[in-house]
Amino acid sequence: MKKSLLLAACFGLASSTAFAASAWTGGDELPTNPLACDATPGTVSAKPYDGGVPTNAPDRNGKKITVVDIPKLIGVGYFAATTKGIQEAAKELGNVDAKTDGPTKANIDEQITFIDNYVTSGVDGILFAANDPVAIAPVLKKALAAGINVVGYDANATPDARQWFVNQAEFNGIAKSLVDALAKEAGEDAGFAIVTSTFTTPNQARWINEMSAYAAKCHPNMKWLETVEAQEDNVLSFNQSATLINKYGDQLKGIFGMTSVATPAAAEAVTQAGQCGKIAIVGLATPNAMKPYVEKDCVKSVVLWNPVDLGYAAMQVLRATADGTLKAGDASVKAGKLGELKVVNGSEILLGAPFIFDKSNIAQFDF
Amino acid sequence: MSDVPLSATVKSFLRHETILAILLVVVLAILSQQSDKFFTTANLLNQGRLMTEVGLIALPMTFVIITGGIDLSVGSILGLCAILMGVFWHNLGLPLPVAMVLAVLVGGVGGLVNGLIITRFKVPPLIATLATLALYRGLAEGISQARSVRGYPDWFYVLGQGDFLGIPTQLWIFVIFAIIAAFILGFTTFGRATYAAGANETAARFSGINVDRTKLLIYTAAGLVSGIAAVIFVSRVSTTRSDMGTGVELDVITAVVLGGTSIFGGRGTIIGTVVGLVLVQALKNGLSLSGVKGDGTIVVIGLVLILAILASNLFSRNGDG
Repeated sequence: MKKSLLLAACFGLASSTAFAASAWTGGDELPTNPLACDATPGTVSAKPYDGGVPTNAPDRNGKKITVVDIPKLIGVGYFAATTKGIQEAAKELGNVDAKTDGPTKANIDEQITFIDNYVTSGVDGILFAANDPVAIAPVLKKALAAGINVVGYDANATPDARQWFVNQAEFNGIAKSLVDALAKEAGEDAGFAIVTSTFTTPNQARWINEMSAYAAKCHPNMKWLETVEAQEDNVLSFNQSATLINKYGDQLKGIFGMTSVATPAAAEAVTQAGQCGKIAIVGLATPNAMKPYVEKDCVKSVVLWNPVDLGYAAMQVLRATADGTLKAGDASVKAGKLGELKVVNGSEILLGAPFIFDKSNIAQFDF
Repeated sequence: MSDVPLSATVKSFLRHETILAILLVVVLAILSQQSDKFFTTANLLNQGRLMTEVGLIALPMTFVIITGGIDLSVGSILGLCAILMGVFWHNLGLPLPVAMVLAVLVGGVGGLVNGLIITRFKVPPLIATLATLALYRGLAEGISQARSVRGYPDWFYVLGQGDFLGIPTQLWIFVIFAIIAAFILGFTTFGRATYAAGANETAARFSGINVDRTKLLIYTAAGLVSGIAAVIFVSRVSTTRSDMGTGVELDVITAVVLGGTSIFGGRGTIIGTVVGLVLVQALKNGLSLSGVKGDGTIVVIGLVLILAILASNLFSRNGDG
């Protein structure tokens, strides 16, 4: 009797997880701003500077500075590429000593601990890509309070916890590129699924949110089947994609890969299932991982910015901030070989429009 | 040295905890040589703040491992409690203190379920808590739908970011819990029952110890304390996320095992766990401050873990022989 009651209780608990499998459309409740369905560019609202200010920062103008870069995690191709860009810029500038360090898992707590230790050890500048915009804020504010220059790239923190954020591409721009590409390849009424990292990863959550808003506005007949989590894990991404292909059969006409790990893994799953050409893969990925699939015509277009440029720009912005050449209220910043970059949205620096790699240009890129 | 028989006093002196304490002193001395930032009050207190959640859970985990069990679900319970506190407060509109208490109670229920599966259905703890690790994490993600709860009132941050008499608030909580745990394990019949259950369960049953009740209480306590750690964690990072506490169980088990608690049961102390915890945290922080990168730090911690256990095995074998 007791046993059966307990079993019933366990099953009750387990069944409540079932509602987690709905068509999930983004974890943050921030407002969306879908772009126009045609190529009209989005409007950039002029906002006063809303970033933070370091307390009693020493005069670093032209002086040698030490900078630590703490990405979401180390050991993945994407952040190896941003590190490369940071090193390129540091070498070019000549007065920066930069190194990259960070957790081996995309884990909020470990990243916070890493930053905390570098604040204690005393650096001049911190570059970061946040695993969570709010959780990272207290430790970044501590860095600002210690007079350290703080610049983010790739994934933002709350604005007052850092001075500037280098935004690789605006969220609604990425969302439009992705959804338009899938609609073109798989049809206006295509059923599709999304393979993302985790539901809590801020960038991915933001993109998916914008994608859902843009699809509702411009491609209302597309069918959202399911969003699945695959961490930033190769094997898991492959397995999740293979499961989606088996589960939805003919209903599934497209897969979005939201990470540079998920997209090639989804392409591999489609290839192995012999569904090339029947299931479209559209996603964010680095060109080297996607070359084989693009060359075999299994994948038509890959959306991304250049992560090497992103790291390069972040380092240039940090140097300009330390030198005092980039101040609150400026409309642009000089970023070495990238030229002038625009300041948008108060305290963000825009790298540019998302880039689309396809068969015609992918061979020219190596990262 | 092996031809000189170790006297009883030397033998008791060369307990694992003593070796560990000596190792800790050596490590602290080396690390403070490497960086002048390491041995500062501000840094040490800050490290106390960072290790509290792992430390709190390590206390009941010491009991769990002494009984010969293991609890892999503590990180998932932490995540579930964090999410539920946010849901109770933000979505259901309960006052925050009530939400905090309820969240901790849910942690207790989570631990109780572990205990029931282990004692009533005779499922090995490793398998039972491996299952609930997935179950509780799934619940946390399902309930939260990955939506974070933020914007807690200022008084709440005192718990994770504030201090009392110049010492981080959570460090006080940890010290009080550690003293209570050490007292229960060392000086009460419950503590003796814990050792007995781990050393020889059958003998413990025949001598009239209610082994099942002991285990049930211990697993429930592990859940409760994970719930408390969840509240502190949320206060420290000022947001709830369903992936909070992922992998915490490994940090906890590392501290406990490094502290000399035998994974086979029957042996271990709270003081050992605390020294193990401090040693791991000092290594992580000190190596980082002296310029060793994250991956290098993990390697060093792995080596220290193996060395510490080898050293204590070597001495105890000499002693027995």
